[in-house]
Amino acid sequence: MFEYFYHEILRRTIISFGTLFNGIEIQHEDSDDNVVSTIRVPLAYGPTQKFLARLQQSPDLNKPTSVTLPRMSFEFTGLQYDGSRKVTTTQTFKSQTVGIATAIRKTYMPVPYNMSFELSVFTKLNDDMLQIVEQILPYFQPAFNLSVDLVSTIGEKRDIPVIIENITMEDDYEGDFTTRRSLIYTFRFTAKTYLFGPVGDTAAASKDLIRSAKIGYVVGGTTKTPTRDVTYSVVPRATKAYDNDVTTNLSEDMGVEGTLMEVNDSSGIALNSYVIVDSESIYVDKKSGNKLFVKRGQDGTAPTAHVSGAGVNLITATTNSLIEVGDDFGFDGSFL
Amino acid sequence: MALNPYFLQGSSSEQSLVQDLINEQLTIYGVEVHYLPRQYATTNTIIREVIESKFNNSYPIEAYVENFDGYGDNTVMLSKFGIQSTKELTVTISRERYQNYISPLIKNLPDIDLPNVEIYDRPREGDLVYFPFGDRLFEIKFVEHEKPFYQLKKNYVYTLTCELFRPEDEVIDTGIEDIDDTIDVDFNLRTLTLVAAGSTATAIAGVVTTGGINQFVITDRGERYTAAPNVAISSSPTIGGQAVGIATLLDGIINCDGTEIGSKVQGIYVQNPGLGYLVNPGVVILSSTSDGVGAAATTIISDNVVGVVTITDGGSGYTTAPSVTISGPGIGTTASAIAVVSSAGTISNVYMSYAGAGYTVAPTITIGSPYMAGTGDFIDNETVTGSQSSKTALVKTWNAVTGVLVISNTTGDFIAGENITGEESGAVYQLKGEELDNTVSQYPDNLEIETQADSILDLSEKNPFGTP
Repeated sequence: MFEYFYHEILRRTIISFGTLFNGIEIQHEDSDDNVVSTIRVPLAYGPTQKFLARLQQSPDLNKPTSVTLPRMSFEFTGLQYDGSRKVTTTQTFKSQTVGIATAIRKTYMPVPYNMSFELSVFTKLNDDMLQIVEQILPYFQPAFNLSVDLVSTIGEKRDIPVIIENITMEDDYEGDFTTRRSLIYTFRFTAKTYLFGPVGDTAAASKDLIRSAKIGYVVGGTTKTPTRDVTYSVVPRATKAYDNDVTTNLSEDMGVEGTLMEVNDSSGIALNSYVIVDSESIYVDKKSGNKLFVKRGQDGTAPTAHVSGAGVNLITATTNSLIEVGDDFGFDGSFL
Repeated sequence: MALNPYFLQGSSSEQSLVQDLINEQLTIYGVEVHYLPRQYATTNTIIREVIESKFNNSYPIEAYVENFDGYGDNTVMLSKFGIQSTKELTVTISRERYQNYISPLIKNLPDIDLPNVEIYDRPREGDLVYFPFGDRLFEIKFVEHEKPFYQLKKNYVYTLTCELFRPEDEVIDTGIEDIDDTIDVDFNLRTLTLVAAGSTATAIAGVVTTGGINQFVITDRGERYTAAPNVAISSSPTIGGQAVGIATLLDGIINCDGTEIGSKVQGIYVQNPGLGYLVNPGVVILSSTSDGVGAAATTIISDNVVGVVTITDGGSGYTTAPSVTISGPGIGTTASAIAVVSSAGTISNVYMSYAGAGYTVAPTITIGSPYMAGTGDFIDNETVTGSQSSKTALVKTWNAVTGVLVISNTTGDFIAGENITGEESGAVYQLKGEELDNTVSQYPDNLEIETQADSILDLSEKNPFGTP
């Protein structure tokens, strides 16, 4: 109505539903109970273009047999609004942008819809049919939950319950001999999916990421002109070497303990800075030539041993700007 | 008026005359069809069904086609199960010809592995009729034996009402290729890639005379690893002398407290022993994911160890990792190594579990040979057996050039690396890989659905409460 968007949610739900019945097998045994044949039951989405079906399935016009059995097909048959799952329409939520770890996107709450599905099974033998039915039904009590990645741009995963509604059995074995027996079971399911509207674009939403936090103490609160006495600002500090810009390398092995860190060239590392070695955050306390006196295991990282040659990554403002949504971080504070 | 006194209205000679005339007509106006009797391999009681059938014989017989004006209109339809053909065929065959010619043959069918056919003196519903025009297989739905109605007190023909066969996993093995290949296009197929004769890989290595790592010693296997961790080794005093180790994981080791969490580090192989180390360098095992913890190792260095192994020829046709033998140094200890097989069946890497000591000249590296004894040609419809899995299947097609064997009616999964032997042909080849083949009949979409669903379904997330 207002802008183009298409998340392929219905298509994704159809595929997710279909894959439930993907690996059903039937086995035939001989009179000594030895398996003589294993058939993976073919499955396809029923509706198709007529010309395509004809060209694919009868490429040379001649079809020497009627149809090979068993077969299963599924079909999306209806869509209904589900009021019981409705949430406030003005509510929004933010989510990490897939592929851009430092950005988030914003979207409104989705609309709950129930998708109706039909699964039809066509077999030659009742025995085959019973094998198939028994492999399907125990999973639905009466619902089976699928975690579907509904909107890939924001990595929005939703649990979609697939509920079995009813089963219709059709076994035309009676009548004269001009018609053949036809054995078709139809399962009806409801998948409780959600339809999402347009997702906010990356650039706009990224502004909502918290890059720093400030707190001010105000004195003289009852006077007419209160003054801000002190302002404290904190910015997050990375605990991983996101940019992996190796500043220098260790020149000696380091144990789990010990506060001496020897590097090839300490010129790029300032006092009171943080470096990352392997996955440990280390605070540089003092410097003496290429020997650094350090505090180990900063910002909640665990001290581990490091070998000579390991990369020493200095935490810079650039590194901090690359902190990914959902990652842990430490913080630097200063009075303004 | 009474009956004509010059005729007996049903003497055996009159009946024979009529039968002879009909037989003659059928041989003049008829079409040669093949009659395929159904042999029951397995039947189900209570739920009364024939589970497994075989059609191993076919008998040509002349038949008059009643529906001479074709199959009628609109006999092909698109259903939710794909294209279905509902063509019907009605043929008339001679009663005498059936009873004198086909009945004795069915009655005397060799009872090798199937119970003998019980009813044989009449055409039977469920049997197949192969109609040569259009190369079609029809299943008999109904046998009419009283039409025309008792002329001269006897019936002379059977009228068979047939409809196109709906195959499942029935075996049709009559020995007549035109008939046997009728239902070749089927979904119930798997493709095996077989190795006839691979070629042996070759590799060379140098010697590191000073300070190379010859062994990693695991001191703690750690736990919770989900992917092989990286191995960091102290840098060498010699520029360019950095050693490289490759870690491998092992499942199934239980901690002292009885828990088993994730995989543990099985060992670290020497890919490059490095050069110029003066003391045993330190090793840190860095998990590539956030889970793995705790693994630790030490190194042992030595002079005159075997250097990086370079593959000079990756060979071909490897299905399992071959042995690797490194020649001894004379005085010293012999190095040992393992080979890594790529998905293409070549040797991609050789890693040393021990790089040896005391080597003064470059060793000779011998990589075990792949399977080379593939021989023979599989015959259509013969049974093939896997040497380890003991699973069987029937041969559909065999391409000796590409080594691709298409099989049906499999009894289970074959194991890569086992030998596949044909029962009749005696052909033997080694199995490289097996794949479910869904591309043959164009209807099944299982693999495509599964592939697409893999990217949008998160099966790792489970709702502990089950229902919504």
